Amino acid sequence: MRVSLNWLKEYVDIDVPAEELACRMTMLGLEIEAVERTGDAIREVYIGKILSIDPHPDADKIVVCKTDVGGEAPLQICCGARNMKVGDKVPTAVVGAVLPGGFEISRRKMRGVESQGMMCSAKELGLGEDIDGLMILPEDTPVGADARQVLGLDDVIFEIEVTPNRGDWASMIGVARELAALFRKQVRIPKVEFVESGPAASQLSSVTVEDAELCPRYLGRVLTSLRVGPSPKWLTQRLLAAGQRPINNIVDITNYVLLETGHPLHAFDYDKLIENRIVVRRATEDEVIRTLDGQERPLRPEMLVIADARVAQCVAGVMGGATSEVGETTTRVFLESAYFNPVSIRRTSRALGLITESSQRFQRGADPEMARFAIDRAAALMQDIAGAVVAPGVLDAYPQPLEQKEVKLRYSRTHALLGAEVSPDDQRNILERLGFVCAARDADSCTLRVPTWRHDVTHGEADLIEEIARLHGYEKVPTTLPRVRQNEQVFAPQEGRVRQLRHFLVGQGLSELYNWTFSCPQDLARARLDGAGAEMVLLENPLSEKHAGMRTTLVPGLLQAAAYNVNRGLSDIAVFEIGPVYRLAGVEALPTQELRLGVLLSGVPEAPHWGQQTRSADFYDIKGYAEAVLDFFGAEVAFDPVARDTFQAGQCACIRAVGKEIGTAGKIAKTVAKDFDVEADLFVLELDLESLLSLPVLRPQFQPVPAFPPSLRDLAVLVDRVTPAGALLAAVENAGGKLLHQAEIFDVYAGERIPSGKKSVAINLIFQSPERTLTDKDTEKSLQKIMKQLETQFGAQRR
Amino acid sequence: MQLQIELEILRASAVASIEQASDLKLLEELRVQFLGRKGQVTEILRGLTQLPAEERPSVGQTANVVKTAIAEALELRKATLEAAVDHAQAEREQVDLSLPGRRRRKGHMHVISQVTEEVLQIMFELGFQIATGPDIETEYYNFDSLNTPADHPARDSHDTFFVKPGVVLRTHTSPVQMRVMERAKPPVAIVAPGRVYRVDLDASHSPMFNQIEGLLVDEGVSFADLKGTIMLFVHRFFSKETQIRFRPHFFPFTEPSAEVDISCTICKGQGCRVCKGSGWSELLGCGMVHPEVFRYAGYDYEKYTGFAFGFGIDRIAMQRHAISSISYLFENDLRFLEQF
Repeated sequence: MRVSLNWLKEYVDIDVPAEELACRMTMLGLEIEAVERTGDAIREVYIGKILSIDPHPDADKIVVCKTDVGGEAPLQICCGARNMKVGDKVPTAVVGAVLPGGFEISRRKMRGVESQGMMCSAKELGLGEDIDGLMILPEDTPVGADARQVLGLDDVIFEIEVTPNRGDWASMIGVARELAALFRKQVRIPKVEFVESGPAASQLSSVTVEDAELCPRYLGRVLTSLRVGPSPKWLTQRLLAAGQRPINNIVDITNYVLLETGHPLHAFDYDKLIENRIVVRRATEDEVIRTLDGQERPLRPEMLVIADARVAQCVAGVMGGATSEVGETTTRVFLESAYFNPVSIRRTSRALGLITESSQRFQRGADPEMARFAIDRAAALMQDIAGAVVAPGVLDAYPQPLEQKEVKLRYSRTHALLGAEVSPDDQRNILERLGFVCAARDADSCTLRVPTWRHDVTHGEADLIEEIARLHGYEKVPTTLPRVRQNEQVFAPQEGRVRQLRHFLVGQGLSELYNWTFSCPQDLARARLDGAGAEMVLLENPLSEKHAGMRTTLVPGLLQAAAYNVNRGLSDIAVFEIGPVYRLAGVEALPTQELRLGVLLSGVPEAPHWGQQTRSADFYDIKGYAEAVLDFFGAEVAFDPVARDTFQAGQCACIRAVGKEIGTAGKIAKTVAKDFDVEADLFVLELDLESLLSLPVLRPQFQPVPAFPPSLRDLAVLVDRVTPAGALLAAVENAGGKLLHQAEIFDVYAGERIPSGKKSVAINLIFQSPERTLTDKDTEKSLQKIMKQLETQFGAQRR
Repeated sequence: MQLQIELEILRASAVASIEQASDLKLLEELRVQFLGRKGQVTEILRGLTQLPAEERPSVGQTANVVKTAIAEALELRKATLEAAVDHAQAEREQVDLSLPGRRRRKGHMHVISQVTEEVLQIMFELGFQIATGPDIETEYYNFDSLNTPADHPARDSHDTFFVKPGVVLRTHTSPVQMRVMERAKPPVAIVAPGRVYRVDLDASHSPMFNQIEGLLVDEGVSFADLKGTIMLFVHRFFSKETQIRFRPHFFPFTEPSAEVDISCTICKGQGCRVCKGSGWSELLGCGMVHPEVFRYAGYDYEKYTGFAFGFGIDRIAMQRHAISSISYLFENDLRFLEQF
């Protein structure tokens, strides 16, 4: 809502400068989004009087004028306009003047004749589209006056954000009321005076309300003998300041009254209404209306329309119809002022995709009492400006006057809720300044009648306390620290673990990603994860096809992030993401949400160093991260070979822990990487964190530190190349018995000096006893047992 | 007498050769030559037995003096030679101190996570507990139970993603309030971080972003307590110098409601392009829990009062780290991620 300060001052006295006013309004809840000074773009433009007009000696289309701007001598100005005559008063920009758009006026020659300024059109001053010629001002305009004052360009416009609860703020009177309450002033409501004559309105027309629920009140007046034409300057200026385009005097008056009172009006061409009467009803099936914007709009039976005897002439409270639009030929008008059901207006406005000044006000709740003032105000202005004859009487269908609410306020409750001391008198006084009427009172409380424009006051006392806080000033409420008591329940027991895991992974050299959680079936297809698409939660109104639903896996997001970076020349990638995936869970239930961890590696996995050769990441890097995470949770893990289309054959492991499959790790298949626009090798791990997070937190139990020295042995064996080293190690651990403390593979080798089809696996063994120092005989015995096991199980040969 | 002279001569020649020994190996040979089991001093001492008894003490004494002198010479020379060896080794092993050290790859936590943790830490210290709720939420929790019934104009400003009738992507973290209140009787003091969604995309809006919700319900909680809590938070998270103002606003689920501005972090309140010259930038929305919300929760509004607040993590991360566009937060450009 654009609020003109000059206009506002008609309703309430304002003694503070504009800057302070903006600040006070903001602190009152009338948030100022912008402050605009209309004259800011114009400097050094004065009212000039044309003294003479002579032809230019050397140009047909230019004349040379002498113009008096109140200076020592008249200015000689060359001008291309034709619409002026000697004696006219025009805005004149002198040398050094600035016009909107930063245009500066300098002394210059036009075809050899000096021009000492410029006489301006309305457009050149930013005041309209009129480019036909100079802006001719009334004869009594004082010569030499600053054009900004004369043209009302000394105004300040406040752009106010009207919150959804305060429809009443979307009007000049509404804002004035608020400021009057703040500054302890009176609001000046304009006096409405006009003469009624001729046949009564009830003889000329009638109003039938068929649905009083959607239209609790409908007022109508008939105005005749009026002349449609342009509005006077003061009116167009007001509308322009509010950001509205002037149309004609009748329409402009309805818009003006809407801005002034916040109450939308509509003017019908009386003669276009079949039988000249109004029926307020729901639209019929298949009914169509062409609205003022020229669009054909199909209506539905839940929408309220204003019809004549036969057809819909207006979408109630939203937009008028084109048929009964007031135009140049209109001489008689049916003027409407109604109160419509806010919910109905909101639904209709949304269904039609039509948001108008009118619908926005009605859906927030208009003031049913203001309806009468608004229609009379408009009638008076139409009589004044368009010479209308106002038919005696108002047609008023108001079967069930809206109930006036009363709310009780306990003074002590204000103190309890705010933590601030406001005396009972001050509390009551604040509310009375805001238009509440005290209906009853005692020492501890009072009962207040709610003004008809305050639709937000519906929940009782708290609504009143908010008003007291607002006018008292939030800044005057002290600051204290509450006593904070914990609840005995734990609401998110796993959250701390997740944060620890995040720190752990960062410590492991990974950087964290944050992907949008949207996805689409195509993403899954590209990642060869088609199966998961059936369970995808789809959105009814997605941002785009690429964001059609909610992700079921982190993998596509990781691959996209890899592509984004690789394509920008960043080839060494080591990243992770912890975040939810979602899955449909039956018709009734909410979709499930499960936390996952994704890791992606590409390029060089370690920080490069000048003293060291670099190597590229491989399967064992990604496996290492899987092992580290499982270790973090203290879970036993197994990696089983598995074939998945997303991953390269032979480099994909299914991760088993806590008795089930909880994830996958491997090298992304070349074709998949290519589909994501990446040539480089990519290694990905995805783990379901839910089952890991529910594991009990690891509490290691103390084991005595060995008192006797260990005995170390290395064992190198030749086995078939395809023998899994893991199986070998398991056999070693099994056969090693109690004395074998630890077995670790420290070398795997195939190639020169190794028979083809074979590989050498070297294992480092640590034997240890808690009771004694081991002898060579002890270790040798264990070693032989291990070797024998490996021979029988794998045909291993000792090297 | 003869022996004593021999000993003195021996000492002289031994010390001389020791002092000239050029390396540790030679020195060891000299030690063996003089002091070893078959060394010259030992030999002479062995001859003591053949001397008359009265001569033995004085010769023995001389022999011991000579032996000590040779041993000392050996020690001295050894120390000198060892120092030289160490020195030579040090010379060989000298490194270029200016070359970079060997480090592990450094991981970077996302700035959203960092800021979330910092906010949580402050709230934990104040005694708040963490709570969470689902991203895909019912309209009941997201709107209705928060006093925003269907057709409430406030729903317009939310630009909601719909999953199906009655189910939405939550537009704020406030539904966690109701989920917690349904589960627990007062006192309740929670913070709830999480992802939220709105149909909106430009330089300052992302369709997915992050919020933190706070809720405190107990006997005697007041608006003054809310002000104090927010102020403490702002001073910790930004700085003690940060100015703060509460101004009236509207949220369906709080009353009174407030928006909180802090002095613009870019211009320190002087007025700049970012704060549109006002010197203030919007930080969060808050207020006293609406009686209607308590009614939905089954809480007694006469007995308990509470406050709630909610703010964008992304926004305060951007404010504090001067990040110019929200899109950086979700683009996952390593050159961005590695700055934090």
